[in-house]
Amino acid sequence: MTRAKSTKPRPSRLEPVVWSLFAAGGTVAALLLPVHVAILGIALAAGWLPSDALSYERAVDLVRHPITKVYLGVLVALPLYHAAHRLRFVIHHQLGLHGGRRLVAAACYGTALAGTALTVVALVRI
Amino acid sequence: MSVTQGGRSPVYVRPMPRTWWLRTRRYRRFAIRELTSVAVAASSVILLALLFALSRGRDAYEGFLGWLDSSGAVVLSAIILAGVVYHTITWLRLTAHIQVVRLGRRVLPRRLVLAGLLTLWVAVSAIVAYLHIWL
Repeated sequence: MTRAKSTKPRPSRLEPVVWSLFAAGGTVAALLLPVHVAILGIALAAGWLPSDALSYERAVDLVRHPITKVYLGVLVALPLYHAAHRLRFVIHHQLGLHGGRRLVAAACYGTALAGTALTVVALVRI
Repeated sequence: MSVTQGGRSPVYVRPMPRTWWLRTRRYRRFAIRELTSVAVAASSVILLALLFALSRGRDAYEGFLGWLDSSGAVVLSAIILAGVVYHTITWLRLTAHIQVVRLGRRVLPRRLVLAGLLTLWVAVSAIVAYLHIWL
């Protein structure tokens, strides 16, 4: 049984990075996403907001502030890494697709990276 | 597939039915918790789409708000909201399990840590809502 150890897949060197992003993204998602989804997805359509709450002028003013940009960057990008990490294992464990581990990992984290780049582009353009 | 090529030599993996996670309540709750990641990703994508619309000018932004006002978007948002709230509750419970909080020599009971985290969530949500809507 001395060989048993060598059969374990070794964790990647990126594992700590991936895990930190997963945890940070999970916390940001837990604390901040529900209120944003509730405001934009429910309260707006239900007419619970003051009429100018989401007006173009106010939105642009708010988002042009550097603090808002940092906040929005964190809010949009970090949860993507959390979701990428969990979806990776949903694909393997719940969908039962056990092959292509590297490909699935690259696709999941790659999508999160692409989302981060798009977030930065959108924030810089506003 | 019963053999996987994870390390240097093949490893035997006990065959599992694809629907193993539907078998017991515990497994189903785990599966739902993991699937909330779809709601988390969807929230980020919607926020990103809103930012892009805003960067493209007034018409694009108001067009996106018009879509958010549609009944389809409301149904989608309700599903996403249920998913992210489930994520919040399970994530804060996990955090309360992992994070030990000490006060002097005493260790705060998990239930109090969880209560503190849930209070933090409510407070943060109220602050965000205030800044988002009224400031």
